[in-house]
Amino acid sequence: MKGITKRFGELAANDQVDLDVGEGEVVALLGENGAGKSTLMKILYGFQSPDSGTIEIEGKPVRFSSPRDAMAASIGMVFQQFSLIPALTVRENLQLAYPDLPMVPARGGGRDERLLSHLERLAPDLDPSALVADIPVGQMQLVELAKVLNLEALLVILDEPTSVLTPIETKGLHERVRQLAREGRSVILITHKFEDVSSCADRVAVMRHGKMVENRTAAGLGARELSSLMVGGAKVVPAVRVPPPTREVPLLEVRGLTAGDVFSSVSGIDLMLAPGEILGIAGVSGNGQDVLGACVAGMREVASGEVLLEGVAVQRGNGGVPDPTVVGFIPERPSVNGVAPDLDLSVNLALKGIPRLPFWMAGRKPSAAESLPLLEAYDVRPRDPSRRARDLSGGNLQKLVAARELSGARKLVVACYPTMGLDLSATQAVYARLFAHAQAGAAVLWISEELDDLLRFAHRISVLSHGKILGTVAAEGADRNLLGRWMMGAAA
Amino acid sequence: MIPSLALRRKTLAARFPWFEGSLSALSASLVFFLASLIFFALLGRSPFLLFGELLSGSLGSTYGITETLVKTIPILLCALATALPARLGLLTVGASGQFYMGAWCGTAAVLLFGSSHWAAMPLMLLAAFAGGAFWGLVPGFLRAKLEVNETLVTLLLNYVASLLVDWVVYGSWRDTSNLGWPATISFPEWVKLPFLVHGSHLHSGLILALAIAVALHVVLSRSRWGLSLRILKSNRKLGEGVGFSWTGNVALVMGIGGAIAGLSGILETSCIHGRLESGIALNFGLTGFLVAWMAGQHMIRIIPLAFVMGALLSSGDALQLYAQLPEATAVVLQSILFCSVLATGGFLRRGRTP
Amino acid sequence: MTILELLLGILLSGLRSATPLLQVLLGETITERAGVVNLGVEGQMLSGACAGFAVAAASGNPWAGLLAGVLAGMLLSSVHAFLVLVAGANMFASGVAVWLLGGGLSAFFGIPYVGRRIDGFASPDFGGAAKLPLLGPILRVATPSVLIALSTWVLCSLFLYRTRAGLRLRAVGESAESASTLGISPTKVRWAAILAGGALSGLGGASLSVDLVRNWVEWMTAGRGLVAVGLVIVARWNPWYALPAALLFGVVESLTLRLQALGVTISPYLLSTLPYLVCLGVLVWGSARARSKGGMPRDLAQVFSKTE
Repeated sequence: MKGITKRFGELAANDQVDLDVGEGEVVALLGENGAGKSTLMKILYGFQSPDSGTIEIEGKPVRFSSPRDAMAASIGMVFQQFSLIPALTVRENLQLAYPDLPMVPARGGGRDERLLSHLERLAPDLDPSALVADIPVGQMQLVELAKVLNLEALLVILDEPTSVLTPIETKGLHERVRQLAREGRSVILITHKFEDVSSCADRVAVMRHGKMVENRTAAGLGARELSSLMVGGAKVVPAVRVPPPTREVPLLEVRGLTAGDVFSSVSGIDLMLAPGEILGIAGVSGNGQDVLGACVAGMREVASGEVLLEGVAVQRGNGGVPDPTVVGFIPERPSVNGVAPDLDLSVNLALKGIPRLPFWMAGRKPSAAESLPLLEAYDVRPRDPSRRARDLSGGNLQKLVAARELSGARKLVVACYPTMGLDLSATQAVYARLFAHAQAGAAVLWISEELDDLLRFAHRISVLSHGKILGTVAAEGADRNLLGRWMMGAAA
Repeated sequence: MIPSLALRRKTLAARFPWFEGSLSALSASLVFFLASLIFFALLGRSPFLLFGELLSGSLGSTYGITETLVKTIPILLCALATALPARLGLLTVGASGQFYMGAWCGTAAVLLFGSSHWAAMPLMLLAAFAGGAFWGLVPGFLRAKLEVNETLVTLLLNYVASLLVDWVVYGSWRDTSNLGWPATISFPEWVKLPFLVHGSHLHSGLILALAIAVALHVVLSRSRWGLSLRILKSNRKLGEGVGFSWTGNVALVMGIGGAIAGLSGILETSCIHGRLESGIALNFGLTGFLVAWMAGQHMIRIIPLAFVMGALLSSGDALQLYAQLPEATAVVLQSILFCSVLATGGFLRRGRTP
Repeated sequence: MTILELLLGILLSGLRSATPLLQVLLGETITERAGVVNLGVEGQMLSGACAGFAVAAASGNPWAGLLAGVLAGMLLSSVHAFLVLVAGANMFASGVAVWLLGGGLSAFFGIPYVGRRIDGFASPDFGGAAKLPLLGPILRVATPSVLIALSTWVLCSLFLYRTRAGLRLRAVGESAESASTLGISPTKVRWAAILAGGALSGLGGASLSVDLVRNWVEWMTAGRGLVAVGLVIVARWNPWYALPAALLFGVVESLTLRLQALGVTISPYLLSTLPYLVCLGVLVWGSARARSKGGMPRDLAQVFSKTE
């Protein structure tokens, strides 16, 4: 790829970007959120066309007007948000992507050998007639990979593949990537994790603010060097671990919490937090975190159990009375769960106070003047209180919800993946405010997938797996391997 | 869209707040004219002559205007009855069923208490409100508690309500002394609202309907309740989390909406027909739905649109009289208008740069 | 008559009654599987019924009538497709507009045919077979519409689950985004699905006017199209279940007709509410199950929760 440029309005998502990948080479494409990596790959895969620049495959210039063209050129992409269709079976998903599928495709019984050959190598004990909705995430990724290999892809693009995998599944993926390279295929690995780079990358290409700033071999690259490459020497003030709580009397008690539905649930959750304590919940998403967070925050109805805040039951249902004014709740997927998309930012920020407004709101309506300082403090862009929430990007919505929930006095803060999609400086800013609540004496329940951050900043860590707490340890000096095993579901 | 045109449109829209609205109204009207001209031409009639008849018949005389306003009342009320639940995100097409139930219950009240000069009208109105509200609460309940799609429920209940009216009109409430069209006895004079224009059908229900529209608009835009509806519609879970009640509000909007449609039912029965007959709801329910849609569920914008629809419908009578075109012509014209609005609305939205 | 013969009789007359509904139900299932709701099927049925009757009356050939019905339905459904896929209008509003359009146009053009009767399909002489105890009633009921409807039922179901095109249709309905990454064009698929729905609902309407009742009255379909939209949910978007769903409605309908004929003193109008109420009941039951166990195409679920 040479001189690729792509603008969206004023913003140059890609600015004169060059990237080349050799045969059998694994290139790690790094950069923070918004650096332009996804745009570049979307261009390579035919979703977008560049404003200027050329793409050459094996020396021959090509033009992609749709993913179909890219697939025909033997390029395959495994997406971060998988493009598998959950309601269909594994076989059907493979069939959809298979070139030259007959009009009445075969359904098992050995006649679809060629369709399933790659899948059988990658995941031998996966039943092709299973619904994608029923198989674990790690296997979904293998199905995606098989889909791509079925196209005889010579270039495979993997978009943040390890973000949803447990440590053991991650090792498995690294092995597969190396295997692909040994077969002579080229791999572009989009990631921001150091271990992906160190385990399988031959070269590293770093993007920052739309430009390609670094392109060198991966050999000898250290973690600190890597993150400074991505951030480009920007001033980042790292957060410091808050001193642990001194009082023993619990502020928050969760007893026997059972809730959820067929898609996600928790059962028999017991937790205790002292004032000023940060409890980290580790685990791969999809094990009931969303239900846990929502129920503890009083946003979702429980089937049984209690959530006691200072001895008062504040769960929704089962005789409790939720109190949204003293609880700060940052839900997962804030764009869906945390904002009213059709309403403007000032209403969204003032949401918690609206039930207490008088019937005729008149001058007491949420105003722009009150919202602007909050938008400034949390760096929400665009800085326009009259914009509708749905116009904001995912990262800005995360900051908006954080702004609403973390401002004001709180007794309990429940944060689910509070820094998802945020770059390093925004992440540190949110952490600073989150931990400040702990310092002020609130109980903080922090659900995250970033095990390293949890180990650094939380006081204790519990692992949630298949809806149950498998164990709790002190964060300082915790054994990563033990935690990894718990995350895989092994009994404590 | 050509970049320079798009830019010009954007600046105009920023300068004049009424620009986008006028643009869509204008383009929709244009498409409507063209499409109906084609329709008339296909019938082998002179399109311009027919259009002339249409306009003069509905708006060209006092009689025309009063007839137009007469038709506007039920359309306006049914549109309001659809727009209110839509503010919560509920899609109901049940206005005609609620219309019939309002007529049914109101007629029952008249048959029971009609002899009392002072109590009959308020009781009739109350009964109509109750009947319409009930017919709205059933789908509301099913949606709130069982997540059943309210659109389908209201559609089915429309047919049930219409049959219930037929049941009594052909059965136990039938006025046997009237050998003609099956209907109930004529309503006494004191249950009819006073007439606005002497000698016409135009009754003061028009004032009532306008008042309801204005009241709804003021309450929805200025009150905390209106804001809570917007929040619940935009994100139900979030609204509930903040403390607003989804089920309570569903009941409220469906009940009030149903009551409004029920009112329109009894007004048509009592003031226009003078007795309960079969099939009086015509297409008011569907028309109301589409008027509400075209108005963007905005209570005040509904008023002129309902008027336009009323004009189209009453022009159907004129076309029938002077051009020997069947009644169904008005329905065809209505649907052409709706399709034009939907089409141009869609295209204009697409062409708008954010 | 034995109990078995009685039950069979009810079932068969229910099947006859259900035939138009079955066609529409299959058509709307295909459409909704692609992620599009079409409330205009009622209008499509009406236009099919009117066009079919007119052509059959004018030409004396009922097959031509059925074909005309198919074409009329497709023509009207293309309006819906245009409004939703090209103009980007909301699909519920567009459906209602198409419904009104179909009703208005069919009422308009159907005026000369109100009250007329046609001969419909000539019933073949089965000879002795018609007198057989079980086979006889079946043969008597088996008008061409019924047979066409039954074969459509089998063909649609096989199409959806066994062919490449059906797989792509389902993929589009589940997630248009994922489908487009696979190189499938959701717009093209949806156009085809809407037109197929139009063809089938037009056929259903024509079956009603040309074959089953053999006359034309405006708004004669009496909400069958809308009942079909409801039954799609009950059938969990699975065409195999379309037959039992339609049969339920048909059986109730023919039962109410029988009760009226037997001189039961309940008002015919009250009895006529039964099919709708039964459909409502089944819809409520079906909705609860569909929600807890899934079945609704994903993209459709998004449509139902967003009303703007």
